[in-house]
Amino acid sequence: MTAALDILPVTQMPADGPYGPAGTHGVTARLFDPPALATLAARRGGGIALAAAARVELGLDLADAPRLSRADGLSAIGTAPGRWLLLAGTEGDLAARLAPLAPHAAITEQTDAYVGVEIDGPHARDLLAKGVSLDLDPAAFPPGAAATTNVAHVNVSFWREPGEDRFVFLVARSYRVAFARFLVASGAEYGLELVHRG
Amino acid sequence: MRIPCPYCGARDASEFAYLGDATLTRPDPAAPDAADAFHAYVYLRDNPAGAHSEWWYHAGGCRRWVKVARDTTTHAIAGAELAEGAR
Ligand SMILES: [Zn+2]
Repeated sequence: MTAALDILPVTQMPADGPYGPAGTHGVTARLFDPPALATLAARRGGGIALAAAARVELGLDLADAPRLSRADGLSAIGTAPGRWLLLAGTEGDLAARLAPLAPHAAITEQTDAYVGVEIDGPHARDLLAKGVSLDLDPAAFPPGAAATTNVAHVNVSFWREPGEDRFVFLVARSYRVAFARFLVASGAEYGLELVHRG
Repeated sequence: MRIPCPYCGARDASEFAYLGDATLTRPDPAAPDAADAFHAYVYLRDNPAGAHSEWWYHAGGCRRWVKVARDTTTHAIAGAELAEGAR
């Protein structure tokens, strides 16, 4: 089923298309380049002022927790105390948009550092159970929950999209092939569709 | 063993790097007995059987140092706090 991986150099991205038994479709994984991405780190003692500025200037309720906060197409994923990954849903001048936060936080451009992987389908959690050591049942990991952890020795940040059984992973760009191989090897038995989203 | 990171929640120990004894205080390098004090600080450990206080680094998660109260005989963890603000 994953014989395709046996002949593929470990440095080469698996091709788009279906993996697994013909006619089955349990998981879809869409790889995409984030339109714009930055890290946000609150200055020492500046957490309250930063949260206030995010609320007033961006309408963003910046939870200081491993959770997704989202407003107006801008997603903030808590990765550590006083730290977030900021992901814009569309291309644009993210630096200009975040400028009002600059007095209260260090903002670092990261757009090319990560790739995104959107994973959904009826067997999405069965695939992820082979690599994620967290309980992803909605009772333990509800919509909007986020985590930074290791999956198949690859460090990732991910969250569950609100209202859906869909997960979005951010993976360091140089690990994208290793992560895709994990997806193919773990998802093929359920029928995996691998797609590069333009 | 799962370690309850105060930020991330309970995580497998494989996500953490171990430093060790969190009860030590760095000696004053200007003190007259500094050489002996640093020898003890760097090399000498009590190796307690039972309650212990330890530093763990959450390398695979929030990348923060966590001070963990762990029983070395049962691995039961009584509590954990971020180094920042730890007592
Ligand atoms: Zn942590």
